[in-house]
Amino acid sequence: MKRENVAEISTDKSVKVKKKISKSTLNEWKWAYIMIFPTFIGLMILNIIPAIQTLILSFENAGAFGKSTWAGLDNYKKLIQDPDVIQAVYNTLGYTIVSVPAIVILSLIVAVLLNQKIKGRSVYRTIYFLPMVAAPAAIAMVWRWLFNSEYGLINYLLSIIGINGPKWITDPNIALISIVIVGVWSAIGYNMVLLLAGLQEIPNDYYEAASIDGASPLRKFFTITVPLVSPTLFFVVVTSIISAFQVFDIIFMMIDKTSTAIKNTQSLVYLFYKHSFVLNDKGYGSAILMLLLAIIMIVTVIQVKCQKKWVNY
Amino acid sequence: MKNSSKNKGKILTHVILIIGAVIMILPFLWMLLTSVKTLTESVQIPPKIFPELFRWDNYPAVMKILPFASFYVNTMLMMAGRVIGSVLFSAMAAYACARLNFPGKNIFFGIVLFQMMIPGQLFIVPQFLIVQKLGLLNTVSALIVPGVVSAFGTFLLRQFFMGLPKDLEEAAKLDGCTIWQTFYKIMLPLSRSGLIALAIFTSLFAFKDLMWPLIVNMSIDKMTLSSGLASLQGQFATNYPQLMAGSLLAIWPMLLLFIIFQKRFIEGIATSGGKL
Amino acid sequence: MKKSIKKLISVIVATAAIGTMLTGCGGSNTGSASKGSGGDATITYAIWDKNQEPGMRAMADGFEKKNPGIKVNVEVTGWDQYWTKLDAGATGGSLPDVFWMHPNQAARYASNGVLTDLTDKIKGSSLVSLDKFPKDLVKVYENSGKEYAIPKDFDTIGLWYNKKLFDEAGVPYPTDKWTWNDMLAAAKKITNTEKGIYGFGAPLDMQQGFDNFIFQNGGEVISADKTKSGFDTPAVKEAMQWYVDLSLKEKVSPNQQQFSENSYTAFFESGKTAMALFGSWMLSEFKANDYVAQNCDVAVLPQGKQRATIYNGLGNAIAASSKHQEEAWKFVEYLGSEEANKIQAESGVAIPAYQGTTDLWMKTQTKFNSKVYADMLTYAKINPYSKETDKWQTAEKESLLNAFTGKVSVNDACDEVAKKVNVVLATEK
Repeated sequence: MKRENVAEISTDKSVKVKKKISKSTLNEWKWAYIMIFPTFIGLMILNIIPAIQTLILSFENAGAFGKSTWAGLDNYKKLIQDPDVIQAVYNTLGYTIVSVPAIVILSLIVAVLLNQKIKGRSVYRTIYFLPMVAAPAAIAMVWRWLFNSEYGLINYLLSIIGINGPKWITDPNIALISIVIVGVWSAIGYNMVLLLAGLQEIPNDYYEAASIDGASPLRKFFTITVPLVSPTLFFVVVTSIISAFQVFDIIFMMIDKTSTAIKNTQSLVYLFYKHSFVLNDKGYGSAILMLLLAIIMIVTVIQVKCQKKWVNY
Repeated sequence: MKNSSKNKGKILTHVILIIGAVIMILPFLWMLLTSVKTLTESVQIPPKIFPELFRWDNYPAVMKILPFASFYVNTMLMMAGRVIGSVLFSAMAAYACARLNFPGKNIFFGIVLFQMMIPGQLFIVPQFLIVQKLGLLNTVSALIVPGVVSAFGTFLLRQFFMGLPKDLEEAAKLDGCTIWQTFYKIMLPLSRSGLIALAIFTSLFAFKDLMWPLIVNMSIDKMTLSSGLASLQGQFATNYPQLMAGSLLAIWPMLLLFIIFQKRFIEGIATSGGKL
Repeated sequence: MKKSIKKLISVIVATAAIGTMLTGCGGSNTGSASKGSGGDATITYAIWDKNQEPGMRAMADGFEKKNPGIKVNVEVTGWDQYWTKLDAGATGGSLPDVFWMHPNQAARYASNGVLTDLTDKIKGSSLVSLDKFPKDLVKVYENSGKEYAIPKDFDTIGLWYNKKLFDEAGVPYPTDKWTWNDMLAAAKKITNTEKGIYGFGAPLDMQQGFDNFIFQNGGEVISADKTKSGFDTPAVKEAMQWYVDLSLKEKVSPNQQQFSENSYTAFFESGKTAMALFGSWMLSEFKANDYVAQNCDVAVLPQGKQRATIYNGLGNAIAASSKHQEEAWKFVEYLGSEEANKIQAESGVAIPAYQGTTDLWMKTQTKFNSKVYADMLTYAKINPYSKETDKWQTAEKESLLNAFTGKVSVNDACDEVAKKVNVVLATEK
């Protein structure tokens, strides 16, 4: 990079003051645009345009095979009065509020523990990673067995200490908690890997210096680890929240369409899937998706604005 | 919480980790046990945990029904294609977002975040139509298309780049590096763990991608491991022992990839002083 | 040092990947679009049942022998994804050449021009004649007086029972003279709540559940002209009450909460329910399950005010957008011929819809009393369908769930069903 040349300063003060556009700045811009170009084009074609198409679709009465008629706000009017949608918003919010803190905290603990030089940590890391590659059918089978109210392992263990376990996946009041448990379980390995990568970037010297000063492990954790891993932590929090709002697979696998607990567990994405793919009502399904998107956008924007408060770059 | 802690700390650590590990590994034990059961044993209520006899013949049976060789190749190609594309392009875009200033930076980053907020199911049909127009239906290239750029990767690597010391650019400038050289020779190597993490995740998402290969490809020999196995799930009944056997055969590529790469985490980055 | 090795590897992989991409881009195997020189065409035949693949392959082989120059690729997509895929393909104009059609979707596909009109082709064919198939089934694939698919097979619902449980309770096996009361009485005797054994399995299911009883009671799920729901009629309400009572009042069946934890099939296969309704498509699954193969058998359904069983049948259709209309028709024509259906019968994977092939199919049935499935065809009622079957079936199931949990009375639930279903049916006009 060449040394900054003399800048061309605009002497016309009545025009809005332009930044000094030096050659090096232009060079920076050029490179920046080149570097974002592939991703930009890819995202626009593959993702943004389909999203806009879906937005348009939400204002239509979608007929079969792509033929549709304009319906204005009809889908949205129907949406706000639909008890299923309202319940799904609660279900989705409830799921997110409970699962995300659990995921973040547990993954951080595991990542920190597995970042130390302990025996067998590669084995542990691999085991914690395993749920990510397990067949969805197997996951569903195991958890359904664990949660079974009559002979499941959880209720069996509870009965040993005298507690009469609930009907985990068929009681409308409890089922969402079971989904949260499975959700947290399946997300730990993934977030652990992310946090491990972030932890790797923290130089050992900081910890050594702190030890010399006599800091306890807990102190080191809060004053060194958390601040320095905060960029990655931010990523984990944001993506976990987004992912939680989009919960679908777990519900689809564990809860039957005709289950007694379906109304209290179906999420917004589940409803989108039901209306768009099962009932062939793509217009309404798209409207539901737009509602979900709006919620996610608001929450994410708030998080991004708040990042200055706790994330250290 | 570091290596100078007393033995009690170490034992506690192990206890916690072991309890967690048992919970994590349960489905695998289940998959393994189910894969050696008979059909009857696999659907019992209450479930029969251990089979009477270990029937290993489910494995050759499922290998006969499904072309696993094709599945492995297609899955590997899909993963390789997506990893190369997403790591390369995301690193570039992430660097620009993290360390360069340019008009429209926030808009671009907003688009990146926005993409992540959208549930993936939305993209399936539109992307199908695009691939169809390109004449790429039922090919291996079609498998790669959705993953060749990655908003997730861009965001992830941006965080990594932002975590690196700001004086790096200054030092590089003094040495006479161009922007590209700074990126390629200095920033990239330093964010190795982030790149590896992204590679692992991209491979993982590719590996688990079920709907896309199913929708975009028709012949069974163009399927990936996950989508190929899905053909075993019937409308009314599924042969669980075979499905589990097939699933266990399917996880090896991903698992090996992880085992190999996570060793790099252990090697870690030089821990003394400055990172150069 | 390590970095350069890594670089090398990545270059190799990249080259390999790009190389494959380029060959892939050559469009080597784009399914329905390939046609070599000299008339060697390849058509795709999409199905959703892996178990039936061998049978379909056998028929395809028979066809290829008679039609050198045409190759058929049989492609299985699991049920869960089959329709999403077909839907996307239809929207984009790239469907398999020939594919299975289901009554629930037939009207939608036919009325939107997705399927090729076969009426004239059938008329001019010497191999296929529609009067060789059950009338109702032919009608399913008809739309506005034109025929859009040729029936492939049919299935009916039978009463499966566990001989071992019957023996243990000292109850004689079901006979063809059985009535609803006989079934209930037997179920009561066998039910043993301590052991967790139920006499009957009555889940919230239509085809393998209460639809059969509705028809047996003289009711209709939807009216013959498909404009009204039958759920507000006394005949249907009575049948539904009886059915729901089985689990809630008589307690001879597990309740819906239990069925939410384990499938009703698993209950039967584990010997926890002594009787249950299953379609003929379950024969191969049950044969492979040694417990069921040893201990269970099938009988005709008991009768209510009349005899009835639900029957359904798949059809073979051609994509209107297919570039191989000639070859596709030749194949579909063949599939509807006597020869192909004999092959289908002999493979034992499904009961062909073609008249006179049932005996051949029976020969493959060595385990169970499968004959009853074919016998029941004489009084079978076609599985209720319309243009938007999925929509009203979903509404029906959701409203009835409350009756099955006892939250709402059967009467009220049925009224709600009628209201919702009528709304959907009204949109079809």
